[in-house]
Amino acid sequence: MGIRHIDVRLCNGCNICVEDCPLDVLRLDEATKKAYIAYLRDCQSCFLCQSECPQDAIRCVAVHERRMPKAW
Amino acid sequence: MPGEQRYEDIDVLVIGGGLAGVYAAIKAREAGADKVVQVDKGKVGKTGASCFAAGVMHTYFPEEDDLEDRVRRLTRAQGFLAQQDLMQDHMEQSWDITQEMAQFGVDFVRTAEGKLERRAGRGSYPIISFHGPQLMAAMARAAIRKGVKMIYRTMVTDILTQGGQVVGAVGFNTRSGDFCVFKTKTTVLATGNAWYKGLGPGHRDCTGDGYAAAFRAGAKLSGAENPDGPTNFFPARYDIGPGMNKFVGEGGIFLNSKSERFMEKYNPTLKERAGLRNLNYAFTLEAKQGNTPIFMDMTHLKPDAVRRLKEVLPLAMRMFESVGLVVGERFTQPVEWMPIAPLARPGLMVDRRFETSLPGLFCAGEAASPTAVPIGLASAATSGATAGKSAAEYARSAAAAPLDEEQVKRLRQETLQALNRGSGVEPDQVLLSVQETVVPYDVLLLRRADRMQRALDAIEDARDNLLPLLNAYDPHYLRMAHEARNLTLIAELHLRMSLARAESRSVLREDFPCEDNQDWVKWVVAQRDGGGMKLSTEDVPVDGYPLKPERTKNLHHMWQLAEKLGICRVEKGAVKWA
Ligand SMILES: Cc1cc2nc3c(=O)[nH]c(=O)nc-3n(C[C@H](O)[C@H](O)[C@H](O)COP(=O)(O)OP(=O)(O)OC[C@H]3O[C@@H](n4cnc5c(N)ncnc54)[C@H](O)[C@@H]3O)c2cc1C
Ligand code: SF4
Ligand code: SF4
Repeated sequence: MGIRHIDVRLCNGCNICVEDCPLDVLRLDEATKKAYIAYLRDCQSCFLCQSECPQDAIRCVAVHERRMPKAW
Repeated sequence: MPGEQRYEDIDVLVIGGGLAGVYAAIKAREAGADKVVQVDKGKVGKTGASCFAAGVMHTYFPEEDDLEDRVRRLTRAQGFLAQQDLMQDHMEQSWDITQEMAQFGVDFVRTAEGKLERRAGRGSYPIISFHGPQLMAAMARAAIRKGVKMIYRTMVTDILTQGGQVVGAVGFNTRSGDFCVFKTKTTVLATGNAWYKGLGPGHRDCTGDGYAAAFRAGAKLSGAENPDGPTNFFPARYDIGPGMNKFVGEGGIFLNSKSERFMEKYNPTLKERAGLRNLNYAFTLEAKQGNTPIFMDMTHLKPDAVRRLKEVLPLAMRMFESVGLVVGERFTQPVEWMPIAPLARPGLMVDRRFETSLPGLFCAGEAASPTAVPIGLASAATSGATAGKSAAEYARSAAAAPLDEEQVKRLRQETLQALNRGSGVEPDQVLLSVQETVVPYDVLLLRRADRMQRALDAIEDARDNLLPLLNAYDPHYLRMAHEARNLTLIAELHLRMSLARAESRSVLREDFPCEDNQDWVKWVVAQRDGGGMKLSTEDVPVDGYPLKPERTKNLHHMWQLAEKLGICRVEKGAVKWA
């Protein structure tokens, strides 16, 4: 699942997470200038946004709920 | 209605911005190419396998290592299908390129005296370490300093040709949906591997787009059936990784469901530190015996080992912490481990200058055939450097050819088609069908003709019945739609090429258990044939290489071991399970 939450009280709208997310999961709301999760299920759970956010506003969890066939 | 962006007068177009692509762009600039444009689906430096690589680099140390032995091991790891001249070039250059990367700002782990620190990793030679994504961040900055023009969030879908020569590429912006046309003198394809969108970070952005585009343009591909490792291994129940090389390097061990440390049986010398291919064999045989689940146990690691892991694998260790598997400086419990990073690598065939079978198209990194470029950062860098130099040279003498506007028009329609449909099949539906077909271990890791044929039938069904109805709600989903389309083609290439190789080499076959060095020191080559696919074989030119396999046909060494361990018998040329 990866990204679970962006705390809008902490987010300062710097846009780093939106620019850097490899799977382009995030967007910045034009009006509020806060980041939001636009394409949750495409998140690859890489934790890059969480580790780069200067405000520590992003919470990721390494629990996968994505459907993925098992090898055995 | 999406607009159109044209990028013209390009000397060298680099498609993909992992380490191979960034190196190609830098070296093309250094070799005098004026306008070098690098285009990526994401943002250069923040995507691809290179960004999420697990902190180790396999660099050759001229004063400490035996060059010949290292080249021999690389060649052996390719089951003698390697292009040995390229393995030699790569090994020799890897030391200098590592020093150069340090000058570009890559922060390698060093000893107190400031030397590159070498530690045990998987394989026989110690590895050096770096700090996760810092490597690509530094390399992307270096490329920008060198004057490389970057274009982000643009997915390349097809390659443009004119009279058999590559003259450009097309794609679309994944946010605006604008159709993009690139007109260039020469192109370097560095789009990485085809990971079937497995669970690991770095595995969901490289979907074989380069292989698919090159195939549609008529390039020769090889290697899908004989990869360096058909999958990698990750925690089964959590989205964590990568880092296996480091975990076993620090002392992590594998246990099966009976708590046996089974790698002692399959590789008594290296155990867990055996190469990826050996781990694949061992996991497969354990699964076949019903000894799953398999666990990685790191609960015994000392705090200083956990601290080191946190230094070089900052992202993976955060992931462990996020689910309580690491608390402070301890692993709390064994973690279930599984092959959930399936890949197929129908790479572009290249010569020693990394030119492909299409004039004007060069290729580097994992986009190239595994016989030319082994998986890894060091080889991504060395191959990228040479491809970039070669492309710049080519651009110096090439005249910019006009585009075939009819071709551009047709590709625009094809590229944007799913976006304009209104309603139809979800990209995820296609992706899941492909994954369900190729991920099961008795297709991916353990082959038999009847199972592969059934898998191929399922892929053809998806190709013929789902792809024409693909629907994209918006430009973001258009990316997902193209990825699903490309992975369907990759799966077809993967299965057809695997069916063609009638022997056990990198991957075990139950119906052809011998490694056949009489008839199969060959590459299986795939090429487009009208609307279909043509397969042929080419002899590996081993007679001109320093290392020559003995021309014998013997039971594959892993089947020999499996027989000895009582796991199976081989009768009448086929495997019978105990
Ligand atoms: C999880 C993981 C961990 C690894 N760990 C290590 C390690 O510790 N040490 C090591 O030596 N090797 C490691 N490897 C292998 C190594 O990372 C790769 O071999 C190497 O990074 C490949 O580099 P590349 O430039 O060829 O491809 P990549 O780095 O994958 O780059 C490909 C780029 O192409 C872009 N792209 C793809 N398709 C398109 C398209 N259609 N249009 C535009 N752009 C596109 C992608 O966005 C990406 O940026 C690891 C691999 C993985 C997946
Ligand atoms: S990086 Fe953090 S602060 Fe910046 S936009 Fe994203 S969530 Fe907000
Ligand atoms: S965890 Fe990775 S893929 Fe997911 S939103 Fe963050 S940066 Fe994007």
